[in-house]
Amino acid sequence: MNDSIVITANGAICAAGAAPEQILRTLRDGHTGFAPLREWDSTTWPAPLAAGVERIDPAAIFEDRKLLKSVQRLRRTDLLGLYAASRAVAASGIAWYRAALDEGRAAEFDEATAVFTGCGGVAYHYQYDYLPALAAAEGNLRAFGERLSQSVNPTWLLQSLPNNVLCYLGIAYGFKGANACITNHSVSGTLAIIEAWHALREGAADRAIAVGHDSPMDPEAILNLYHLGLLSIDLVRPFDAGRSGCVLGEGAAAMVLETRVAAEARGAPELGAILGTGVTTEAGGVLAVRPDGDGEARAIELALQEAEVAPSDVGLIAAHGNGTINSDLSEAAAIRRIFGSEIPPVTSFKWALGHTMAAAGAIDAVIALGCLRAGIVPGIATLRDPDPQCLPHSISASETAARGDIALVLGRGFGGMNTALVIKASPDGAS
Amino acid sequence: MLVRRRVAITGLGLVTPLGNSTATTWRALMAGRSGIAPIRGFDAGGYPVRIAAEVKDFEPRTQGAHHKLLKYAVRHAAFALSAAAEAIDDAGVGPCAETANRWGCVAGSGMMGVAFDELAQFQRRFASGGKLAAHALFDPATPAPDPIAYARNQANAGLALLVQRFGIRGYASSVHTACASGGQAIGQAMRLIRRGGADFVLAGGFDSMINPVGLAGFCMLGALSTDNDMPARASRPFDRSRNGFVLGEGAGFLVLEEWQAARRRGARIYAELAGDGNSLSSYRITDSHPSGDGPIQAMRWALADAGARPSEVGYINAHGTSTLMNDRSECAAVRSVFGPHAARVKVSSTKSLMGHLVSGAGAVEAAVCALAIHHSQLPVSANLDQPDPQCDLNFVREPAASCRVGIAMSNSFGFGGSNSCLIFRNPEDAAG
Repeated sequence: MNDSIVITANGAICAAGAAPEQILRTLRDGHTGFAPLREWDSTTWPAPLAAGVERIDPAAIFEDRKLLKSVQRLRRTDLLGLYAASRAVAASGIAWYRAALDEGRAAEFDEATAVFTGCGGVAYHYQYDYLPALAAAEGNLRAFGERLSQSVNPTWLLQSLPNNVLCYLGIAYGFKGANACITNHSVSGTLAIIEAWHALREGAADRAIAVGHDSPMDPEAILNLYHLGLLSIDLVRPFDAGRSGCVLGEGAAAMVLETRVAAEARGAPELGAILGTGVTTEAGGVLAVRPDGDGEARAIELALQEAEVAPSDVGLIAAHGNGTINSDLSEAAAIRRIFGSEIPPVTSFKWALGHTMAAAGAIDAVIALGCLRAGIVPGIATLRDPDPQCLPHSISASETAARGDIALVLGRGFGGMNTALVIKASPDGAS
Repeated sequence: MLVRRRVAITGLGLVTPLGNSTATTWRALMAGRSGIAPIRGFDAGGYPVRIAAEVKDFEPRTQGAHHKLLKYAVRHAAFALSAAAEAIDDAGVGPCAETANRWGCVAGSGMMGVAFDELAQFQRRFASGGKLAAHALFDPATPAPDPIAYARNQANAGLALLVQRFGIRGYASSVHTACASGGQAIGQAMRLIRRGGADFVLAGGFDSMINPVGLAGFCMLGALSTDNDMPARASRPFDRSRNGFVLGEGAGFLVLEEWQAARRRGARIYAELAGDGNSLSSYRITDSHPSGDGPIQAMRWALADAGARPSEVGYINAHGTSTLMNDRSECAAVRSVFGPHAARVKVSSTKSLMGHLVSGAGAVEAAVCALAIHHSQLPVSANLDQPDPQCDLNFVREPAASCRVGIAMSNSFGFGGSNSCLIFRNPEDAAG
């Protein structure tokens, strides 16, 4: 087992709370944070609910006032990402450690600090900024071009960049190392963690901030998902016979990953380690999901193999479990294919958090680690009638005990994308 | 010690403003022909910038069943499908039942989803006064939206189509770091093969922002050249009189293959993809520090990753956007990394002829580096009449008869501060 890359801090924000412990508390208490969408008048919509974040405290993001002013102009997804990342950085203490270094070593520290982000890319509503100009032009493209700057913010393009969290984390903290911004639908956040982990394993950096963030609740996305039959009109019931879809949520999560050598050098306590990763695609099209769960089964296989962990060592599975008919069914098939009759406790957090899309995998990873450290598997509180085809004996409405200190975190996205992460919790007090 | 897996470039495919294939693009580059012209795709008459490097007379390279996929493809995704099909044909190897799980795909994807016509139609139906009437979207009298349009507008739709078209079933990812996207995608793909995560990767980038919204975004930032009356001369990287970049569009894809396997099957290897360096400038959203800090680290790390010395580099395909800040910062970075060799290494910016392909740029320019090594020829940096005194590098200003390249470097630096540098080695010099 290779556990040389460790997790030393986390941050997360979503409808269920503004810190990992708070989110886990909400899950354990069985609360959902769904409410009618605030940003738009959704009163007449057939699916009006979303799992929105009530308030992002901008002052908690950066101390520097000038920087804070520029990030407050950013999109909501970016504020969420910067919030979670700044909380993780603060919790890790790396900024304090760096501040104590002499100039030369501080420069080396910055260059050995990587940043990997995953997000949803440009949302429909970004382009709504052009609607007033389009209306005024009345179909005359020349007039549209001439009068654009009267109604559109001149920095529209910069505000809309998918890689803003990457950019501003660099500017805020001085990090200069390896980096990427992943725009791969709902597996973006997981891929940010996966690529950060590989960069550290390969020696490209000593530590990395990995962030997944998204705010996907725009009217057209909701409209389309509703008509595709993927949205629930009330609750999300993963793996329940009466499930009817997901509810969109927003949020972000961040992890500080370090090589054990780097973590030990600064005396940082370890929360856990990432042991293995798997990424596959089913190649069936943008909206297709294979009924047999083949892509997800192969991702699990790859991750367990890389982690050198047997299926029987897995203590809990944090499934993608988005509450849609086909995804849950095929996910259950994938889990059965790998685990046979020895399936560990399975849960999904989306009944409480909503589907935070690009952020989902990162949030799930952070929360799964919290579950392992508490030795528990939160119940799926909305579960009434387990679908007999969806692992009925492995899911529960109430909290159960984790079977061990290793979690498998699953993620899926449009395009037949599948990811699996194997995470291990460090014993309390380990350092 | 374990021998590191190495990566061969065995297939290339291009759709660029200079030509809709690798061969036509390369010929235009060698002839010094410009792909920049007045915008034909829409009426840009009201914009301060009315020129761009558009892809011309594009006919998608798809047949039979695959042709249906085009319904799911926005303009740049169609470029991607064509360039990728050419790359896989060119490599003479593609995914099959035995290898599909060992094929990966990493794409630097453009940021624009919704096509302008769709946005305009949406405005007419649901925002006639300029403000969205959100309740009307869900009015029972409103017809259901087209699921194909929804699929097409997803940020990872291009990637999803690529893996579907070619039956790739291993690792797949879409990345976006603005103008560094294509370079970073190829670097990530190289690392994926090295670490054993795949044996083959279809890697590249694609973009098109030459539409009323994309052009507006760059115009409002004042980033583009306004030389509407002399399109072929508008992009003048490193020239004293440069005044901004020219927007381009297109796609570039490479087939990357584990070196030994490529050798065993007797593949034609254009070059070894030997090094990757990624850094963050952490300075300003649109610029790197004038000292070159940021790009310097990317270049140093890429060279170290390839095990190459600066003095071995024969050619640099510069990021060279033709903006004052980029060009000066990049030149300062080259001087810092190369020391005395900076005066000798040949440098050109192919953006002088094909404009700036944004998320596609790094990928297309990686293919240009592979071709420079393969053909022993260097593309010129066009329109460089009076070099900026602060950009005193050894630019390729005239086409040379023949110029063997041992090692080539490609730079791509993006808005947001991500810097990508790739290193290519002549296969004759790559042992094994």
